[in-house]
Parts: sequence; C-alpha cells; structure tokens
Amino acid sequence: MKGFGQGVSSIFFILLALALLIFGRSNNLAVEKSRSAVFNVFVPVLDVLSRPFEAADDLMNWVEEVAVVFSENKRLREENIRLRQLQVTASQLAIDNQRLKKLLNIKEGSITNVATSRVVSDSGSPFVKSVLINSGADDGVRKGQAVVNEEGIIGRTINVGSGSARILLATDINSRIPVKLAASGINMIMEGDNSPDPKLSFLPLGKEIAVGDVVLTSGFGKIFPPDLPVGQVIEITEDQTIRVRLAANMRRLNYVTILNYDIGQNLNKLTLPEEKGQ
Amino acid sequence: MLMKDKNKEIGIRWSFPFLSTILLLLVMVLPYKIAYFDNLMPFLTLIAVYYWSVFKPGLLPISAVFALGLLQDILSGGPLGMMALLLVVVRVIVLNQGRNFLERDFLFNWLVFVLMAFIFGLFSWAVASYYLREAQNFWNILGQSILTIAVFPVVVWLLGLVRAGLKSENR
Repeated sequence: MKGFGQGVSSIFFILLALALLIFGRSNNLAVEKSRSAVFNVFVPVLDVLSRPFEAADDLMNWVEEVAVVFSENKRLREENIRLRQLQVTASQLAIDNQRLKKLLNIKEGSITNVATSRVVSDSGSPFVKSVLINSGADDGVRKGQAVVNEEGIIGRTINVGSGSARILLATDINSRIPVKLAASGINMIMEGDNSPDPKLSFLPLGKEIAVGDVVLTSGFGKIFPPDLPVGQVIEITEDQTIRVRLAANMRRLNYVTILNYDIGQNLNKLTLPEEKGQ
Repeated sequence: MLMKDKNKEIGIRWSFPFLSTILLLLVMVLPYKIAYFDNLMPFLTLIAVYYWSVFKPGLLPISAVFALGLLQDILSGGPLGMMALLLVVVRVIVLNQGRNFLERDFLFNWLVFVLMAFIFGLFSWAVASYYLREAQNFWNILGQSILTIAVFPVVVWLLGLVRAGLKSENR
C-alpha cells in the first residue's frame, strides 16, 4: 500500500513539474511575481554568504596587482601623457558637438543613475546567463532598465522584487541589444547565444565589417542610452557569423550600475527615417 | 504542512538533509565560481538528492525534493520546473534501486553516480534545448557532469558529517 502511495505521489510531482515547464514558459505576470517574491527572500542570505568569497577574491586580485605594480605604473604614466593630449582635443570636440546639436535641435534622452548594487548570485548554468542584484523596486529599479559597469554594458533588468532584481546578461540566449559600429554608424543587433561572445546580426548588404571594429549601443530600443561601450568585433567566420568580445568582464561581476533612460521626443522623430532606409 | 508537523515532533535535526541541500544550492548560485572553469558549476543539488535518497529517503521526501528543484529554478533563473522534474526523477530512480546501493561500498556508489551524472546532464541538456527552442552547447553540460563527478567524494564526505551528526544526536 505504501509503495502504491509513493508511486502516486511520484507521478503527481513529475506531472506538476512538467505542467510548470509547459505553462510557466509564457511570461505571465503571476509566474514572474512569484519568482521575484521567492528570490527576494533569498537575496539577503546570498548577500551575506557571498561576502567571504568576495573578500577572498579581492585578496587574490590584490596579490595579482602587487605582482605587476612596477610595470603597471610605467604603463600608466605613459598612458597618462597620451590621455592628457586627448583631453584637450575631446573638450574642443565636445563644444563643437554641443553647438551642432543645438543647430539640429536634437533633444537628448536623459540618463539617470538609479542605483549601484552588488551582484549576489549568478545562475551558474550553461543555459541561462543572468545574475541577481541586491537592489530592487524600493531603490527605484524597474523592469527594462540598462545595467552597466565602468567597463561597458552588462545587460538589462527583467524581473524586479522589492529589494532585489534579476538581470539578463548580454550573453544570454534571450538577449537582443541594438548596437552600432562606432566607425561607420551601421546599426545592427547583438544577439546572445549563451556563449561568452555574443553574435552580431543584420549586417546590411554591401556594408563592410572588420575584426577590431568597436561596437557601441545605438540607443534604439529605448533601454540602453546611445554610445555606451559594448565591445569589439573579434571574429568573422566564413558563414558571416560575427562575434563580439564584450568590454565588460562578465566572469567577474561585483558591482553594477542601473541606468534609467528617458528618451527625448525629437530623437525619436529624427531616427525613424534612418532606420527605414536600412 | 504535514512535513512541518512531523519535523516538529522529531526535532530540528531531521531537517538537516533539507537544510544541507539548500546550503549546497545556495553555493551553486554564488557569483564566485571555481577559477578557470568558465562559469561551470557542478550539480551540487544532484549529489545531495542522490545521497539523501540512498541513505535517508524518509528525511528528504519527494515534496521536499520538488520544492528544492523549484527553488533552484527560481534562483538560477532557468526554465521553471526543469530542476524540479530532474531531481524528482532522480529520487524516484534511486528509491526503486536504493536498497541495492545501501550495502555497497563508496566506490560502487560513485560508479553508479558517474552514470547518473551523465544521464542527468544529458536530460538537462535536452530539456533546456527544447525549452529554449535551440540546441545548446553540449560540451558545457558534459563539463558540468564531469565536474560533478569530480567533486562527488568531497561533497559526500561533507554530507557524511551531517549524517553522523544525525546519528549521534539520535542516541
């Protein structure tokens, strides 16, 4: 009799899991809300648990940095000289740029820094590339905001709890980010495929692309502000698969910044015809 | 609810198997991974569910396994129900064969686990590929299975300490 009961409960739970797999697939609000309610409870726990790991990681970094401190210092001095020269040019260009934008009547979207938060969890699965952070709706984080660090873009918020949020990384198979090539301004879409280096797709016919091309966000899609660093083209295969090495080191994400991007109305009007042309 | 009442009666230590599995689950989703393994994490919860299903199946009932799997799906952001399904199936298989494992030595259990880890990897690959509507990279999951097999002795040793704790308090 006990065996029979066990058999029934096994079948019940297997069917329940299957039903969840099939029906939980559609992004319905109830499923999303219950998910965020659950991870919201565990994020503080993960936050505490990951602290010693962070300390150990910091220590390793410190050792690595001490080892190269002399050569790094020399390199940085040289870079500093070069950057000082660039700074003069950049400030001149900024003035020019502002004047020209005024002439064209371009209204730029406003970018606000919503929160800087700590990454407390990583999916640790080859099928999902996402992380949990320790700020959420209470800190002003909303679904569909851009997430960056000092190196470049990371991803976007997809599920927000009161004190935590899930970020879909740019490498995830569901990630699509509108980008452009810095040099030519060609608009493309960067698609994640769960590998470390996402693909670029929709290269317009007859346009050229080369390894080493710098990729920036294009600002279309209203999530990422334009001109944020994305990465560099590292590979173009014969079947036209173009891969981008992201500027941000996705293997070591400690702190990230969430940006809110409010698009200016005129920008919309200006960019639409250009999009159609391609 | 039923499980909770039962736990109260027989004391807090009976929740050790459940708690130890949760702890391993949390370790799995911590952002700091093993160096040079490029974000591959061993299936620690598979080891825990396997271990407790062999040695103390009564303390990790199927409802608990299901809940743990679901929690893993939620925390990792993966397909909802995937780990719940796979871990429940593991428990069912072990329970049907479990009595054969009990009297055997560690090496035998490890060998059975090798097979289990590969099949588990294969099925998770199949479910994820179906769910994401695109065949996933098979090498990653193979790496994950191998890593799981490699850490098996260490995790089993740790869980053995937990089990020893159970016994000593039991007397």
